[in-house]
Amino acid sequence: MSTAGFNSQNGTGTGQTYTNGPSQNPVALQQPPGVGYGMNHQPAYNPMQTKVLGPPSPALYASGPYQPVPPGPQLGSYPPPPAQPLLTRPPIGVLPSHTPPQSASPGPGPRQAQATPPAQATPPPPAVTSTSYYTGPPAWQYAAPRGPAPNHVNPAAAAPPHMSHGSAQPPGPGAPPTSIHGYPQPGTAPPPMNPPPPHTYQPNRPAYGPPPTAPPAGPPGATGTPPPPKVDAQSWGAASSARPPTEPDTQEGDVECPGDVAGNGPQAPNSYNHVDNRMAGAAQPGPPGRHLGHYPSLPPGYQNTLAPPPSSLHPALQAATQPYIQGPQPYQQQPGGPGPDQLSPSMAAMSLQSGTPEALRVVNLLQERNLLPPAPVPAPTPCLTQDLQKLNCSPEVFRCTLTSIPQTQSLLNKAKLPLGLLLHPFKDLSQLPVVTSSTIVRCRSCRTYINPFVSFLDQRRWKCNLCYRVNDVPEEFMYNPVSRSYGEPHKRPEVQNATIEFIAPSEYMLRPPQPAVYLFVLDVSHNAVETGYLSVFCQSLLDNINALPGDSRTKVGFITFDSTIHFYNLQEGLSQPQMLIVSDIEDIFLPTPDSLLVNLNECKELVQDLLKSLPNLFEKTMETQSALGSALQAAFKLLSPTGGRMSVFQTQLPNLGVGALQSREDPNQRASAKDVQHLSPATDFYKKLALDCSGQQVAVDLFLLSAQYCDLASLGCISRFSAGSVYYYPSYHHQHNPAQVERFQRDLKRYLTRKIGFEAVMRIRCTKGLSIHTFHGNFFVRSTDLLSLPNVNPDAGFAVQMSIEENLDDMQVVSFQAALLYTSSKGERRIRVHTMCLPVVSSLSDVFAGADVQAVTGLLACMAVDRSVTSSLSDARDAMTNAAIDSLSSYRQSALTIQQPGLLAPACLRLFPLYILALLKQKAFRTGTSTRLDERVFAMYQLKYQPLAFAMLMIHPALYRLDDLSDEGALNINERTIPQPRVLQLSVEKLSREGAFLMDAGLVMYLWIGRNCHQNFLSQVLGVSSYAAVPEKLCLLPELDTAESQRTRALVSWLRDQRPFFPSLHIIRDESQLKPHFMQNMIEDRTESALSYYEFLLHLQQQISK
Amino acid sequence: MIFLTVIARLADGLPLAASIQEDEQSGRDLQHYQSQAKQLLRKLDAQSPDRCMLEAGNMNFCYFISQGVCCLCLCDASFPKKMAFGYLEDLHNEFCEQYGKRVPAVTRPYSFIEFDTYIQKTKKSYVDSRARRNLSSVSTELQDVQRIMVANIEEVLQRGEALSALDTKASNLRSQAEKYRSDARFLNTRSTYAKVAAVVLVFVTLIIYVRFWWL
Repeated sequence: MSTAGFNSQNGTGTGQTYTNGPSQNPVALQQPPGVGYGMNHQPAYNPMQTKVLGPPSPALYASGPYQPVPPGPQLGSYPPPPAQPLLTRPPIGVLPSHTPPQSASPGPGPRQAQATPPAQATPPPPAVTSTSYYTGPPAWQYAAPRGPAPNHVNPAAAAPPHMSHGSAQPPGPGAPPTSIHGYPQPGTAPPPMNPPPPHTYQPNRPAYGPPPTAPPAGPPGATGTPPPPKVDAQSWGAASSARPPTEPDTQEGDVECPGDVAGNGPQAPNSYNHVDNRMAGAAQPGPPGRHLGHYPSLPPGYQNTLAPPPSSLHPALQAATQPYIQGPQPYQQQPGGPGPDQLSPSMAAMSLQSGTPEALRVVNLLQERNLLPPAPVPAPTPCLTQDLQKLNCSPEVFRCTLTSIPQTQSLLNKAKLPLGLLLHPFKDLSQLPVVTSSTIVRCRSCRTYINPFVSFLDQRRWKCNLCYRVNDVPEEFMYNPVSRSYGEPHKRPEVQNATIEFIAPSEYMLRPPQPAVYLFVLDVSHNAVETGYLSVFCQSLLDNINALPGDSRTKVGFITFDSTIHFYNLQEGLSQPQMLIVSDIEDIFLPTPDSLLVNLNECKELVQDLLKSLPNLFEKTMETQSALGSALQAAFKLLSPTGGRMSVFQTQLPNLGVGALQSREDPNQRASAKDVQHLSPATDFYKKLALDCSGQQVAVDLFLLSAQYCDLASLGCISRFSAGSVYYYPSYHHQHNPAQVERFQRDLKRYLTRKIGFEAVMRIRCTKGLSIHTFHGNFFVRSTDLLSLPNVNPDAGFAVQMSIEENLDDMQVVSFQAALLYTSSKGERRIRVHTMCLPVVSSLSDVFAGADVQAVTGLLACMAVDRSVTSSLSDARDAMTNAAIDSLSSYRQSALTIQQPGLLAPACLRLFPLYILALLKQKAFRTGTSTRLDERVFAMYQLKYQPLAFAMLMIHPALYRLDDLSDEGALNINERTIPQPRVLQLSVEKLSREGAFLMDAGLVMYLWIGRNCHQNFLSQVLGVSSYAAVPEKLCLLPELDTAESQRTRALVSWLRDQRPFFPSLHIIRDESQLKPHFMQNMIEDRTESALSYYEFLLHLQQQISK
Repeated sequence: MIFLTVIARLADGLPLAASIQEDEQSGRDLQHYQSQAKQLLRKLDAQSPDRCMLEAGNMNFCYFISQGVCCLCLCDASFPKKMAFGYLEDLHNEFCEQYGKRVPAVTRPYSFIEFDTYIQKTKKSYVDSRARRNLSSVSTELQDVQRIMVANIEEVLQRGEALSALDTKASNLRSQAEKYRSDARFLNTRSTYAKVAAVVLVFVTLIIYVRFWWL
């Protein structure tokens, strides 16, 4: 029925292309490209369409994952079935995936030496960086059909180290205790283990060994085809697009055919049918690195308890239980093996289920000291086929707490890990394909944008990967503008890029695109003038006035306020700006509505005049009161006809007129109070105003510069609900606090010049069966799942929590799509679409294997912020601790088959307790230490608002040793050499008096100079003669022309360049005032009020074994 | 008072430039007029009268078509017709001068949104009653303004709908006729078969009768 309708609509051409199938159709190719362009489906954009969701539940754990599920009973249901060991057995040669790809020489040298001897047989290229785990599965599956026996053969022959590894891993569920003996004496283990296999299987090796080694070096992504180049919009846009109404579409075919849908499954898009041979090759394991970190990780307990003779059992075991041991081996040249075509479906299926052995390696946290990887923790890679993974969205943009989605809600509940997404949707991207097309292809029932993970049933129909509806491919979509060919809808940029931007047709506009409008609301009371921020602001704006994003329509305006509101008439033709004072703050009105917001291009000189005179205008003011509420109302009135951005600079507690606040903080209670009060707003005035602003497409950004309490908890609402951002500069003063001044200056520069999107909305869709129920970030939720963002900026992050409503039984993958519709500063309406695809798994150990510890921490932090506001801080702290306890105990009880003493965690969650402890000691949640309320609230805002990468730094700072920087392993960017020192644990034991250490805590960096610091470092980097000569307040590294100085500065500026805000640098000595701040970040150490890391682990263990 | 100004391409109604409504009080119900304006722009084609005023409640739409560009504005019913068309012509001249050549090539809606600045300035000079006097010289050229056609917006918008309703009815009729025809043919064939079958049956009976009883 659908095809009939389709043919009749599309006319003659269809028959041919249809019968020709997915391959290129020469006939079609000859058609003039524009042929089908008259026909467009133009689905009307319906902003009101909604998905039905469960009611949002603000409670931290209300989503279910934390409902108490007695873990005991499940134990029985978790015997390792035959398949189980295969999936969960972690040990296989996976260790190096800890070490991120770029570190070619990871870790301690001696171990490496040990590792190499076994590998002598076929030493693969020493650059073993390709060991990221997902390269393994394909190769392994490839060989799998041959049966267990050959499976056993291969690993032994080609890479003996695997063997020893596999057997040495104590904790794999399927691994018998016997295998553990392999490692008691690291040095000696390999020889006894390895000889038998090589003997037995030697003959095989020539067959597969050498050939595959050729491609291994490249990381998986490198083997893929390069992403299609940016699409040039004009090259193929249809000139005249007729607008047939959308009805014909909807009448013509409800193509839905449930049977079909189920039968086909989400797999098997014809574009992915072929298997890339290279991927097997790329799976070459890296023996040399594999041993790293393994030996030390063996807890002494195991060495003692488990020591049956190794040789007797292991071959048989391996043959029987571990076909996957050959995971890392590339064998695609196996003669007589099945061809790629036959294998591809099974491979795809298997790789989706295969666990990531490394992620599941069991770690005894109490025994293992050096958990931190030497470089930043990379995001885990979902266990997908390479074809899909290649297309998947970057983890910087889109991250899920569980990269393997559990099949059912009960499985999720069992894992006790939160399920959610962390997004950075408007991130500045270096490469972004932009598509102009009069038709944006979307699913007709769920409005999903076409994306790389849809499946094409044939050339004319595609199946939505979110709701599984079958849709028609519009005629226009058949032409591929990149290759200029016809009849290849699956090669279009929309289907090749997980992140893409569309230029929206006029259906996506409720009104003509608004101009960029910037209104600045400045506090000019006595207190503000004292801080001296006004001149910095004016100077920054003067410097950047030409860099403000916008076009010739850009408008600006200024309002200043103390106890009265001052407007500035900047109308063209005036010789100088006119100041209009309104003292009636109870009933605010605009004195001259049309000349307060003026066109920047036409009135630039007046604006510049004003900015030059503004700092002097209020120099002598004695007015101490602040009528912020009225000023905001006035600003709202001014902006409401157009929408735009309001930047509010405030330096004290507003104490006059509407929205006046009282001081709620008792400084004496900062440290002593058991529970922190006043985290929720004192008045709903700011929230209400923010919602009004949101309705009129106005966003409010708040800059708070104040030494005293300002009640950020109340004031912040104005930004939170209008999708603005909050900046906080405690103790800002132009003379006394130069570090803050520099930070303010740099932040302002970024703020004024960064990209901006106006009148934006964002919707996140996910595959049927999953549902999104709680959102975190700055926005207002309109109509259950539509986020209203009056402004969107590239530095804003979002998080959502999800639950599983229906079982995902018959699905192998699920997808998530975030679509952000915004008006650019040039008046273009654009849609940015990100799509991510993740595998579905059915076993608990796979769920654990896919856990993304950073994302979990980030989401827990957001949930805890909500919990502390709605309930109490101690509740939130308990909830976080319980999150760690629950997930680890559920891992212990359900995913581990062998019970061992100690606090066990899968390798992928090994940092979880550390991060939880870091959260408990974070400014937002800490107790017992004196923390100003505003700083605490600001830290909470940051946790919710910052993209994950930056939030993680604020939770767990990075510590580097600076006095022995070398160029070894350095990055080279733009001909600058940036040293990459190891990340050290946050413990005083890592500090030494002879060294200098840099702590990078996100918003602030500390450079701590040891008392006996090398003379060399002092003179070459700091330019001082001795330790005593280091100035008390030093915030700047002197620019010396020495190698050491250059290295240090390169590192610091590189770290700063990585983030959109400017962290100030404090160089501190032992006696410095800031030393306590530095020491507070030493998370692993004990403080008067908080546990040390080891104590915390003991606490966890105690709770778990209870 | 002029509330809304849109400049669009005549061929397909693609909006090229527009002026955002400035007025707070009437801002809410302008949404309705905006969608009416959109519909109207799609309806207009080269056959439409090139100057026309359409009544829509207590507001008037005025449009002016020339050189493939349509300028449309929404103004108070009390706003002088002369001024409205003077305003539209003014906009049209300036627009065609600035962007006229690029109009056929653009695909993106509101490609020339920057023209908004000029629209707003012009609007101000026409709306401002003090400035109006200075414009009197311009408007005298528009003496033939009296002959401008006046129609009702509903009629214009629904004319198309009536036609399309007629069209659907006609096509329904045609498809039903076809169905009737095929049904009739089917019935015919069936009755033919029935007749043939009856005849055959009679013959067979006859043969059997002859075979068994006569012989």
